[in-house]
Amino acid sequence: MTSIRIVGLEKRFGEVKALSEVNLSIEKGEFFTLLGPSGCGKTTLLRTIAGFYRQDRGEIWLGEERVDEVPAHRRDTGMVFQNYAVFPHMTVFENVAYGLRVRKLPKAEIERRVEASLRTVHLEGFEARTPDQLSGGQQQRVGLARAMAIEPRVLLFDEPLSNLDAKLRVEMREEIRAVQKALGITAIYVTHDQEEALVISDRIAVVSGGRIQQVGSPWEVYKDPANLFVASFVGKVNLLDGELAGPSASGPGLGAFRSGGLELAVQAPPGAEGRPLRAAFRPEDADENPAPGSPNALRGRVAASSFLGSVASYEVEIGGSRIVVERHGPAALGASGPGTELAFALPPERILLFDPASGSRLRPEGAASPEGRGAGR
Amino acid sequence: MSGFSSNRRGAGKGPDLWTFVTLGGFALVLVFLVYPLADVFRYSFTDKETGALSLANWAEFLGKKYYLKAFLHSMVVALATTGLSLVLGIPLAFFTTRYRIRGSALLNTLAVLALLSPPFIGAYSWVTMLGRNGFLRLALASLGLKLPPIYGPLGIILADSLQYYPFVSLMTAGALTTIDRSIEEASENLGASSFRTFFRVTIPLVLPSVTGGALITFMMSLSNFGTPMIIGGNYLVLPTLAYNLFTSEVAERPGMASTVSLILMLCASLIIALQQWASSRRKYASMLVNRPVRKRLRGWSSALAHALCYLIVALSTLPLAVVVFFSFKNTKGPVFVPGFGLESYRQIFFDVPKTVTNSFLFSLAAVVLIASVGTLLGFVVARRRTRAVKVLDPLLMIPYIVPGTVLGIGYIVAFNRRPFFLVGTATIVVMTYFIRRLPYSVRSASSILKQIDPALEEAGINLGSPPGRTFRTVTLPLMKAGIVSGAIMSWVTSMNELSASLLLYVGRTMTMPIKVYLSVLDGFFGTASAMSTILLLVTGLALYLVNRWSGSGAEAAVGAA
Repeated sequence: MTSIRIVGLEKRFGEVKALSEVNLSIEKGEFFTLLGPSGCGKTTLLRTIAGFYRQDRGEIWLGEERVDEVPAHRRDTGMVFQNYAVFPHMTVFENVAYGLRVRKLPKAEIERRVEASLRTVHLEGFEARTPDQLSGGQQQRVGLARAMAIEPRVLLFDEPLSNLDAKLRVEMREEIRAVQKALGITAIYVTHDQEEALVISDRIAVVSGGRIQQVGSPWEVYKDPANLFVASFVGKVNLLDGELAGPSASGPGLGAFRSGGLELAVQAPPGAEGRPLRAAFRPEDADENPAPGSPNALRGRVAASSFLGSVASYEVEIGGSRIVVERHGPAALGASGPGTELAFALPPERILLFDPASGSRLRPEGAASPEGRGAGR
Repeated sequence: MSGFSSNRRGAGKGPDLWTFVTLGGFALVLVFLVYPLADVFRYSFTDKETGALSLANWAEFLGKKYYLKAFLHSMVVALATTGLSLVLGIPLAFFTTRYRIRGSALLNTLAVLALLSPPFIGAYSWVTMLGRNGFLRLALASLGLKLPPIYGPLGIILADSLQYYPFVSLMTAGALTTIDRSIEEASENLGASSFRTFFRVTIPLVLPSVTGGALITFMMSLSNFGTPMIIGGNYLVLPTLAYNLFTSEVAERPGMASTVSLILMLCASLIIALQQWASSRRKYASMLVNRPVRKRLRGWSSALAHALCYLIVALSTLPLAVVVFFSFKNTKGPVFVPGFGLESYRQIFFDVPKTVTNSFLFSLAAVVLIASVGTLLGFVVARRRTRAVKVLDPLLMIPYIVPGTVLGIGYIVAFNRRPFFLVGTATIVVMTYFIRRLPYSVRSASSILKQIDPALEEAGINLGSPPGRTFRTVTLPLMKAGIVSGAIMSWVTSMNELSASLLLYVGRTMTMPIKVYLSVLDGFFGTASAMSTILLLVTGLALYLVNRWSGSGAEAAVGAA
């Protein structure tokens, strides 16, 4: 088990800054995910850790060893590739044994480890097959077995599931997590799929524009986003532009946020009065059965609705804005069509406020920023 | 994001295997291309007596009808050859890809065999048929049809076209088979007749490939030396002019030969530039979902299509068949006598066995170099695009524009003094074969590599295998099939090389093509035929091997020539 520490990492490709000021500290045995849209720098970061790119500045530490100048083949990281990268001219056995033979392990030991790895990924009996006889999912299992057979200090996953079909993806991500926890090897996992990241990770770093936007548990990243980018990239969100018009009548400590013809009671951040703000809340934050007298009780006309099985989603017109709300479980089945009226309430504490210019979060008085907690661990 | 770092790839300090390969590539280019070609430049631009900088050679070239005529001849021959190749190649490609022609696989193989056959066999065979004492000409004369001897431009054009038209037919056929059927169907669905569809959709789509084939044909014809030497008579073209100027015992003119060489290279560069421009201007990415189908023809139209295809291929195979036939005729000195036997073969194996072993040894040695060095440099070109490699890459392509005669002249001048005394050795012949094939092998290796996912190499490295070991255990096995078929093609072209080695050989480094050429000059058609038949056999064998190995002899042939 190895911890990973990345200090002030920077990487340029010509004029383009692919990574700037990356600082991360990943614990032993942790399942850590780099989440972001394509081109955000997450794969660059992973490949720099693996040694395929050379950083322009900064340090990479695996446990007590500084590895940023160590050539890729001596870093002892096990990588699982997006397009599997299973050697097509070798059998499954030879693929998994490749790294062990490089390490000049005795034959019996190689056989034992290959067998154990293949058993872990449920590919017993496939030793003599060649990759062209395997499905995509099976090839990726070979890739995983091959990476873990060398018992690396850290497992690196580069969007390993993006080429698989939806059902297999769900199956495999659970397996990957189970294997990683069973072996206890520290893992860094790159994905652009926020659902995948939320399910699989101990902690997530959201990456955009070559910078780490936020580090936190899936719950923190989802419920307590550090900025507008994180709020809108992870999960669905309603955004309303407006300003704080003064104290709200709905309760003590609440401010009145006005956006067009809509007024919402929000937990007012200090000194925000009069400046432009952007309010954000998630579709599922709408309370379907509000208690009488709750703040932000709203009623609007359904403009469009879509039924997704366990969830029904409605676009509701209120005060000149369109707001998406979701209903779950049995309530989803009593779907209301377009034109019908829908009533719900928005609990003020669920409405997050951001500075629209910088995107940074504006917190109510007394609330701690989660960023310090995340990165400092 | 999975692209390559523009500055340095990967971490770690110091040079690795590929740094040395790049350095070796530069050394090779400097010693065996830049150094001899610089001498060609120097000779061309200096006065022979005083050694001063001079434009006298160029003034003389531009001022004398004798030289300008050779230039004109070259253009006439190359243009006419290209035109005739288009006339022969396009219909063959169209009918064999769009209609069911019985035996089209055989037709294809025979066309490729003609393309890869030693470049002078066609010329020499036409001489035996339609030359001064050509049997066909004499036979026709006895029937009252008097033809002039074939020597001169017509002979060159005939022999060249019948050898090079497969460039056009193969490249056109390649394009025709990769047009998705639904594109032509879309045109007809929108109301165009099949006639209109052919001219407005099909032709424009295959035009880049037709142009590509035509340009290669032009280039090959322009730099061909053996054919005009044997069948050209007094009709001098640039390569034969350069050769004569350089070797003439009466008035040796190395300066003038160098000037002619530079003009040849200039023409070749222009064609390459044209080719690059043509292929960059029109590139149609094809998404091949529905392969075009071959229609069945009936009755007269079927008979006509068959007749046309068979006639074209038969014409190009005829010279080869004649050579094989004559190799079994009995001879008495230079004269053919009635009856058949193995006399000509006996003569070869008993009188000049060294020539045969030389050809095999030199070409095999060259192939080892071509395959190994070409692969390593191909890797660097495809996978390590450092600033140095970006400079090296175009330098490696120089031999494309250097006709064999020019390379031969450069080598004689440069390698007949310190520090490299190589003229007269086997080494220089092997190096000639090697250098002439270098661009093809580098290109082919790098294009094979472009089909291999770099992630496979990264996986090897990630699992702890150093770069050299990863290349050996991952990359090389995946490239093997491509390298082997490329090597076999290189072997054939090296076996058949004449233009450069003719300038560089001495008695003990004589090869089969040189012996064929000398035998033809001396009128010993029996031995020439037998030797040519052996070369043809080798060519056929190689073609068979490539087909067995990769299943695409035709593609390899286009890449090889």
